[in-house]
Amino acid sequence: MKTLAKKDLKGVVKAWAEKYHVLAPSRMAKGDCIFDTFQEESFSLDYKKPPLFPKAVFLPHTEVVFEVKDNKLHEVISARNTILFGIRSCDMMGLLQSTSFMTRDRDDIFYSTKKERATIIVMACPGPQNETCFCTTTFSGPVAKKGFDLMFFDMGNDFIIETGSHRGKELLSSGPFTDMDNKLAGEKIKTFKEKAIRDIPVVDEVYEAMRRLKDGAADQKVWEHFGRKCIVCGGCAFVCPTCTCFNVYDQESAPGNGVRARAWDACLYGGFTREASGHNPRPNQASRLKRRHEHKLLYYNESDIQDSLCGCVGCGRCSDYCPVHIGTLEVAREIVKE
Amino acid sequence: MGHPGNIYELRPVSILRTLPQIKDHRLFQLKLEDGTTWENFGHQPGQFLEVSVFGKGEAPISISSPSTRPDTLELCVRRAGKVTNALFEMDRGSVFNIRGPYGRGFPVDKMKGHKLLLIAGGLGLAPLRSLLLHALDRRGDFDDIILMYGTNNPDNVLFKYELLSFYDRDDIKYLYSVDRDDEGIWKQYVGVVTGLFEKATLSPADTYAVLCGPPIMYRFVLQKLLQLGFSKDHIYMSLERMMKCGVGKCGHCAIGDKYCCMDGPVFPYTEIEGIKEAI
Repeated sequence: MKTLAKKDLKGVVKAWAEKYHVLAPSRMAKGDCIFDTFQEESFSLDYKKPPLFPKAVFLPHTEVVFEVKDNKLHEVISARNTILFGIRSCDMMGLLQSTSFMTRDRDDIFYSTKKERATIIVMACPGPQNETCFCTTTFSGPVAKKGFDLMFFDMGNDFIIETGSHRGKELLSSGPFTDMDNKLAGEKIKTFKEKAIRDIPVVDEVYEAMRRLKDGAADQKVWEHFGRKCIVCGGCAFVCPTCTCFNVYDQESAPGNGVRARAWDACLYGGFTREASGHNPRPNQASRLKRRHEHKLLYYNESDIQDSLCGCVGCGRCSDYCPVHIGTLEVAREIVKE
Repeated sequence: MGHPGNIYELRPVSILRTLPQIKDHRLFQLKLEDGTTWENFGHQPGQFLEVSVFGKGEAPISISSPSTRPDTLELCVRRAGKVTNALFEMDRGSVFNIRGPYGRGFPVDKMKGHKLLLIAGGLGLAPLRSLLLHALDRRGDFDDIILMYGTNNPDNVLFKYELLSFYDRDDIKYLYSVDRDDEGIWKQYVGVVTGLFEKATLSPADTYAVLCGPPIMYRFVLQKLLQLGFSKDHIYMSLERMMKCGVGKCGHCAIGDKYCCMDGPVFPYTEIEGIKEAI
């Protein structure tokens, strides 16, 4: 395995940025740390859990799929060589799940061309990043099991780097990296991982809630309760690493000219399932919240979950950002409480 | 043209003719603009298309004609939203785009040698008609064919002349109903479509029942079929959802762990009976 002195990291990422579009944790003026195009001044390692998993790299908030000129549609498939530096293990699992969903059966090339050109570097978690982390419950952290090209372990003054692919190995072929005995590195990683697992609480309510949903034993009152509270902002879906639903719309700038684009959508919105006839199979907010949470905890696809627990990767962002406290954790606890 | 793997790739079609049906319902006969017939299009009874009109968007529309009639492809469309409104503004020769065929249709091979019971309500006849015409064109493949069709009143009968033409055939049984007949002009049954079961002799063991209609219809018809002794794996239904992308990605048509556009729109009862929001 390789190691890298922490003081050399910025130089390494800077060198990568000359050849790749590098998205890295960046400190914003107001203090938030988000994934943004690498800049020396804003690059930061003190980023905890960034508010958004950068899923927009693969599924942009809005993406033009066709440019239309005189009613003729011309497809727009774009991607560039990207390095995603420092995503967390939960987000790695979110990316694996999303990629499985978007490429199986019918490959969505708008997504997969971007994915194919992305190099993923995971920063393993030494412990919970805040009080809503529950990746050990969902088998998606603190350390990624697969999918990454490189994984960094923060050992204080330096990083131990695990290689996950040939592409990752290439990245380490030049630069101030030093070799470390694999056995010693393995032991250090083991200690790192054990401590992280000890520190991240297991949320048993999630298992119990999944069991109750499976048995049809979750009380309808739970959904009605949350349905009354929900303000239909859709934020939980937008911060979720595994939510990929989108809407397709046309923007006609002049007759027969414009773009056909797709944009993030959320199953929490009333219009999401409404048909042209006016009929809506999910007619109220309770049924829509039920759908969102059943999709994660009950109706996940076996091949998409990538050896984790379910369609939730335990990042806790829905709990972090929902203005009215309807995150997966709150929902699981409410289901169990009944 | 485009990327060979582009799942949103469109094909231009033009309107051969439009046949008015009832108020706000029209049958569109289409031809492919590349000059080929529908023979190689590969559509199965029960499948659907995405109809694209740039500036308005895309809408899922079920295919009303079978591949046994490859000269044209027919869509029976209700004027309901932006895309269908745009279609109704078009005339013979107008060009628009389609994607498809999509979804899982009726299991015609499995149904071979069996009796068919088709139960349709309102515009639900549109997807069932592709199966009905397929079965009539391959009449020797099937045992008895029974069609039950209900509408809300005599003015709203779709495919009126086609349904009347069955009067001249003895190889199909038909039972038509209307919910209300205020003017007293209806010669057949007045009442909901489930009332037609009293008038038919059915043999559930060797019959496939197939249904499509307004949401309210399913529960009552299913109840009736089970009462009569139909096994759940002999009941197929076509469901309606907001199938936006048609290729299982956009998420709008999800039903439990299934996607209506990929796993359906035709489902055997056995696959969806455990999913509460399905019916």
